[in-house]
Amino acid sequence: MTTSSEPPVPLPAAAPPPVLLAGHLHPGVLFLRFVDGVQRAVLPLVLGLAVERWFLALAAVLFVSQMSYGLVRYLTFQFVLTTEELITREGILNRQERRIPIDRIQDLGFESTLLRRLFGLVVVSVETASGSGKEALLDSLGRWEAERLREALLAVRSSRGTASAAAAVQLPPMADEIRLFAATTGELLLRGITDLRIGALLLTALAMLQFANEVPVVELRLLLGKFLQWLQSFPPAVLVALAAGLVLLVLGTGLIAAVAGNLVMFHGFVLGLRGEVLQRRYGLLTTRSKALPLRRVQRVVIEQSWLRRLLGYATVRVDSAGGSMDQSNDSKGGWDVVVPLCERARAEALLPVLLPHLAWDGAIWHAVSPRVVLRLFLKGALLVSLLLAAGLPALGAPALLATVLLPAAFAIGWLTWRNVAWAEVPGQLLLQWGWLGRYRAFVPVRKVQSVIVRAGPVERLLGLATVTVYVAGGSPTALGDLPYADALALQSQLATAAAQSARADWTCRRRADVPAPAAPMA
Amino acid sequence: MTDPYSGPPPAAERPAPALERLAPRVVPYWYLSDLLGTIVLAALLFGGTLWLRERTEWWAPVLRWGALGLVAASLVWTLVSPPLAFVRWAFAVDDELLQMRYGIVFHEERVVPVRRMQHVDLVRGPLERLFGLATLVVFTAGNEGSAFRVPGLLAARAAALRDRILRARGDDVL
Repeated sequence: MTTSSEPPVPLPAAAPPPVLLAGHLHPGVLFLRFVDGVQRAVLPLVLGLAVERWFLALAAVLFVSQMSYGLVRYLTFQFVLTTEELITREGILNRQERRIPIDRIQDLGFESTLLRRLFGLVVVSVETASGSGKEALLDSLGRWEAERLREALLAVRSSRGTASAAAAVQLPPMADEIRLFAATTGELLLRGITDLRIGALLLTALAMLQFANEVPVVELRLLLGKFLQWLQSFPPAVLVALAAGLVLLVLGTGLIAAVAGNLVMFHGFVLGLRGEVLQRRYGLLTTRSKALPLRRVQRVVIEQSWLRRLLGYATVRVDSAGGSMDQSNDSKGGWDVVVPLCERARAEALLPVLLPHLAWDGAIWHAVSPRVVLRLFLKGALLVSLLLAAGLPALGAPALLATVLLPAAFAIGWLTWRNVAWAEVPGQLLLQWGWLGRYRAFVPVRKVQSVIVRAGPVERLLGLATVTVYVAGGSPTALGDLPYADALALQSQLATAAAQSARADWTCRRRADVPAPAAPMA
Repeated sequence: MTDPYSGPPPAAERPAPALERLAPRVVPYWYLSDLLGTIVLAALLFGGTLWLRERTEWWAPVLRWGALGLVAASLVWTLVSPPLAFVRWAFAVDDELLQMRYGIVFHEERVVPVRRMQHVDLVRGPLERLFGLATLVVFTAGNEGSAFRVPGLLAARAAALRDRILRARGDDVL
């Protein structure tokens, strides 16, 4: 029963802000908990029937505890949206109440697994800009109710300080959605095919073979020796074919996994803009939908890994505060992807939407210091000398092969110098990096949290430094190998501009009690 | 256009604040705390290598000498680093920016706009209290690298700095 018409819960505050929406979890949750309970109980149940009777009791306890937890949560969980905050309450003995000021709500994310979709359920995650990302999880609401919650939230936020928020909620949806991008199956296929994890998979397989070779397990060696002897009984042509087949198999598996993974994850990807809010919907099995207010955008990155750069394709990622806690794992389910894959020109055409007031046509790109070539060459030379020192006594002359790395280091240095660049346009810092691929970050200066200049011993020797720009979301953006004085000048300029816009934000917020505008005031 | 980015260079508009040094007594404090750290490290490594005595494999002496080398290196660093760190450390606070400069091997210059700070902490460990010192820690929004520490401040100075930052931020609740 989605009881949004239920009488509002009284608030303890002296003058309680008007309640806009209140509700409970969807009853379908009980079935989900039932499935969970069965899942938990199935192993002890089998053990109980097959091995020992008392496992049955364990199964019953697990099942009942899961079910009663689900039931209690269903019966007690309650959410209330007022014009000021979103409140969730749950628990009988341990009553827990969480209040999230609406201003701090960064995003409402919707996620729906296959099972939940059967019941029309969605998990609503409330994200704030705090470091931990997800602040509250409403597991699960009916789709219709979740949509209503989002509508109400967006309406309240956009009408703060202007009109009565309660009235705004009664209004029809603010604006029609403008479709910015819809991924075709071809693009998603290409995204899978150009996924560089295939290469990583191959490398992993090689490394594992290498490791197995190194491990001083006698049996394995013997086994391997026998296997090799057995292999040597074949003609060389067959062996080559076998090896090629093996490599193809590994590559093929990786390719299929990458393609399938991308198709499933980003199936039906649609990016739209409604008013000032970006909307994304995607997913085949688990469907996701996410609203991202444009003013929360901290950084936009156009990424072209080398394969995609070769083909002229790019992906677009947006960092927003709080949401990108785990850069390394996949648990965020592509939350930061705005465009899975499209031609570079189309990706760049989206930029003015993602970053209003961005004008970078006439941007003058500055290369970093050419001494970067020397630095990377020195690094390579150091590696080579270490390899030689270790390898010559052990291997003799073949160790000299390591010197091949010297021209490679030089080439990498030269490519880096050609590729790494930065530019300043009004209100934005543009950074470009990568030596085979090309990555371009667009950082609104007003979002800058801090700027750090770092120089290690080698960098100091060459008079170089690295500038790192921190924004509130995602990983920091680093620009290496600037001449030291330039690095300091850029730092000072960025920090001063950031401080100025911070001051503008503050006075604006204090004066009108409205969120700061999306761009520096002209 | 009053665009903040293409404005006049910062130096012309606002003179850079004078850099401030840490309290000199931070040097003995660092000596003591680093020495304690080295002793703890040595004790741990000594305990760890006790069972190596019986071992005769080739790697046993390597580990033992490695542990000894580690302790020696830590000791040398303890003796050398505090004065160098003191000489390198400098910071400045004004109404707009907190600037920090430090690092012996890796030089760092950090700048944080005061209004971007989320909260300001004063931290005083037991040893720091013994020396009458405090560490100022400011946090900005964000995940990585969002904490900035200024160690080795006299307690009164640290409190004054914190109040100054809070005032500059416009929080008149002191």
